[in-house]
Amino acid sequence: MTDAVGRVLGSEHTSTREFRVAIGEDHYLQLDDLVVVETQVPGRGQVNTYGVVTEVEAVYEGASFESDTFRIAEQGSMPGAAVRSARVSVTRVDPELWVAPNPGGLVERATGEARDKALYTDEMSRPLPVGLARDGLPVFVDLDFFDGRKGGHMSVSGISGVATKTSFALFFLRMLTGRSDIVGDAGKNLRVLVFNVKGEDLLWLDKPNKDFSEGDAEKWRVLGVDPSPFPSVSLWAPPRPRSGDVAVPDTAGRQDVAVFAWTPREFIDEGLLPFVFTDASDTRNQILFVAERVEAQLRRYAVDVAGVPGAVVLRDPAEGHGPGSLVTPNRGERVIETLSDLVDALEEFLDPNDGEPDQRWTGRVQPGTVSAFMRRLVAAVIRLGHLIRAGESRRIDRSAAQVTVVGIQSLHDLGQRFVVGALLREAFAEKEKSGQRFPLSVVVLDELNKYAPRDGQSPIKDMLIDIAQRGRSLGVLLVGAQQTASRVAPEVLENAAIRVTGRLDAAEAERPEYGWMLPSTRARARLLKPGTMVISQPAIPVPLVVDFPFPPWATRKEEVAEGDDPFEGL
Amino acid sequence: MTRLFVEGWAPEYGASIEPDENLRAAEGSVDVEVEQRPWEPIPGVDDGIPKVAFVDGVRRIDARLVLDEPTGPIPGICGSYAVGAVLWDRVECRSEVIEATTTRLAVLAGGHVPELPVLDYGLTFDGISVADDDPASLVRAFHDAMRRAEAHLAEELAQGGYFVVADGPLYEYTETDKMGYVKSHRRAYLPPEQAPLLGELGASQRTPLFAIGEGRYRRFSWYLRLVDRAGGHSWSGIARCEASAGLGTEVAARLADRSAAVLPLVASEGHIDPRAPQNLVPIAALEKDLRHGLGDAGLVLRALRKAMGAAA
Repeated sequence: MTDAVGRVLGSEHTSTREFRVAIGEDHYLQLDDLVVVETQVPGRGQVNTYGVVTEVEAVYEGASFESDTFRIAEQGSMPGAAVRSARVSVTRVDPELWVAPNPGGLVERATGEARDKALYTDEMSRPLPVGLARDGLPVFVDLDFFDGRKGGHMSVSGISGVATKTSFALFFLRMLTGRSDIVGDAGKNLRVLVFNVKGEDLLWLDKPNKDFSEGDAEKWRVLGVDPSPFPSVSLWAPPRPRSGDVAVPDTAGRQDVAVFAWTPREFIDEGLLPFVFTDASDTRNQILFVAERVEAQLRRYAVDVAGVPGAVVLRDPAEGHGPGSLVTPNRGERVIETLSDLVDALEEFLDPNDGEPDQRWTGRVQPGTVSAFMRRLVAAVIRLGHLIRAGESRRIDRSAAQVTVVGIQSLHDLGQRFVVGALLREAFAEKEKSGQRFPLSVVVLDELNKYAPRDGQSPIKDMLIDIAQRGRSLGVLLVGAQQTASRVAPEVLENAAIRVTGRLDAAEAERPEYGWMLPSTRARARLLKPGTMVISQPAIPVPLVVDFPFPPWATRKEEVAEGDDPFEGL
Repeated sequence: MTRLFVEGWAPEYGASIEPDENLRAAEGSVDVEVEQRPWEPIPGVDDGIPKVAFVDGVRRIDARLVLDEPTGPIPGICGSYAVGAVLWDRVECRSEVIEATTTRLAVLAGGHVPELPVLDYGLTFDGISVADDDPASLVRAFHDAMRRAEAHLAEELAQGGYFVVADGPLYEYTETDKMGYVKSHRRAYLPPEQAPLLGELGASQRTPLFAIGEGRYRRFSWYLRLVDRAGGHSWSGIARCEASAGLGTEVAARLADRSAAVLPLVASEGHIDPRAPQNLVPIAALEKDLRHGLGDAGLVLRALRKAMGAAA
């Protein structure tokens, strides 16, 4: 009873969900503190009630009017004592005998074993630290609920800028990749795909941060991870448009970034055409129908060209070329080396200047639909044309490093969706084919509301829903982030076992998507500082507030620690 | 064996008496020449007294008892009283309730001392008796016990260096810095020639001292006005104070000056206290605290009923 901080308040009812604590004069409780109360239950013995402080209050006892405050504090003419109390939400009753704690019961700070019980750490088979509580000790999530054993996926919400969604996602990844002692088999050959959608924040994950302090390092050590940047990172960026034959990464700050692109052959084989039509308005007409048909036809018609790797010509399969055959283009025959070439080639089938569209390519759709299809295709040439070019394969090699960062920040919206769609398809298809859960593949995607919006249909949304629903068993895990969960397809959200929010907009916090938060947590979510998150997981019935430490890796060029300069000493 | 019963009637029923009124039946002559100064308002003087103690008590009749004697029923009461003080530290600007004690008494008439069985919730009633069997003297004995406890506490604090303001008339007249504070006026003490001065008193002003009572009940008294009359009648905001005559005129006048300056500082306000301004803020708070200390009336009555029912 050394850690007693007060007693269960007896002037109002206690319940199995909540009770209040009158705090002793020489003690204090703050938000998120963990406490335990022992209750003797007749015939059943001792029951421990564990809880987390959700609010603390203080009042002048003896003051019945507001103005009494002055009489007590200033004039001193009225006797009155400040009484402090705390509101506690019950996290656990152990053994599970649902009785309310007795009024007057001695309330202790939950430390050591009691803390583990309060946070269910004792029941977690693989507790992975996901942040620090107010007492400076780690808070855990049960990894079984992330890696697919009992649940999968994570959803992170919060206002842009102050909610630090991406920072938290990366922190989580660092925990996942750094604590192989806990992750176990699931961590072997773990592959992470991260999209950098804004700025170039994530292109420095392998560089130390010069603002990283010893105090921060201490926090990382408490979490059991060596405070160092990500050890294994490969960086990818699209080629700079109009850069000619030389593939230069389209990045501002960092140049040692690999360039990715697809050859026309890869574009056709992997069926990437539908990902060009991801605008919400594309689904209201039959454009996707045309796209699917064209895609199928392309597969049949495309033939590799000798001497130009990745390029194709379109020939009628009736001419008898088999898969893998190489042909030399005939004089005047169009060699498809870019998306622009492909569009020109398709125009001859779909919208020829002289004559009718070829119904084998268009199907029986209105001529207007074909025109709309072509219009969008032409527009796409400008926006993402530079992503498709013949030549050596520049596909993103996700097995090159543990963390693959794909920078799509420089791309137009349409281009971003195309890249995300193409890579998700690739990652998912790979796992579908192998049928194995391991090695795990984790995808971090910010602005999920853009890719899986609540309303409308798109090939990416369909795929994300598919990943959310089936990915768990296939080992494809989505860490989705969004400003507002209410704008994301509910199927994607509902399948996320672990939910996290940073600071929320006041109106957003009241939406049913955040029903997992306590009323007090919702109120607090409007005030959360950067670096503080609310985490909900199936294993614990109340959401927990945690801090995560400053990252040891840089998030901007200016943050890269001196001494990591490759030209040093020259 | 004779049995003790709790009367079925609620304790509030019964003789309505104000013991203080009965105690002070004869006041004798009033001497308005004590201070030997013109009969006009005197402004209060705040001598910066650092420590003031307000002493008060509250009481409640918890149950009425009947002792079933063969010769006839013997009446009795069970009551609780609480006595305490508020210490006002004027230098540090803070007040605290101290020495709040609750006492529970069972009083039987006709010289019988009640013996109460063990009660729930750890309640204990001390038994006392009165000689006669007048129901009024039961309450009076109970009330006197409380007044004695108040006087005892007041005396202790006064000797400890506090300026003591005791709620109600003084009970014990000793030569310490102690004054009684009477907020209601059932009787006008001043002769008709002097009485009009009351109407002329401004805020924080007092009347000259006047002596009341005879022999060992002789004491000095004065009226003071706590707040501006502001259109009220001539008795509004007036309180009567008294101090032991044994203090001598000079000391009593000093207490009077001080009270006229200091007490208005803690006068209550009309929108907050129905007995404003005379019900001083520390005393009101103390009463609330003490009343709280008496415990829940229903629970006490239930414990008494249960214990006496069980004794049968």
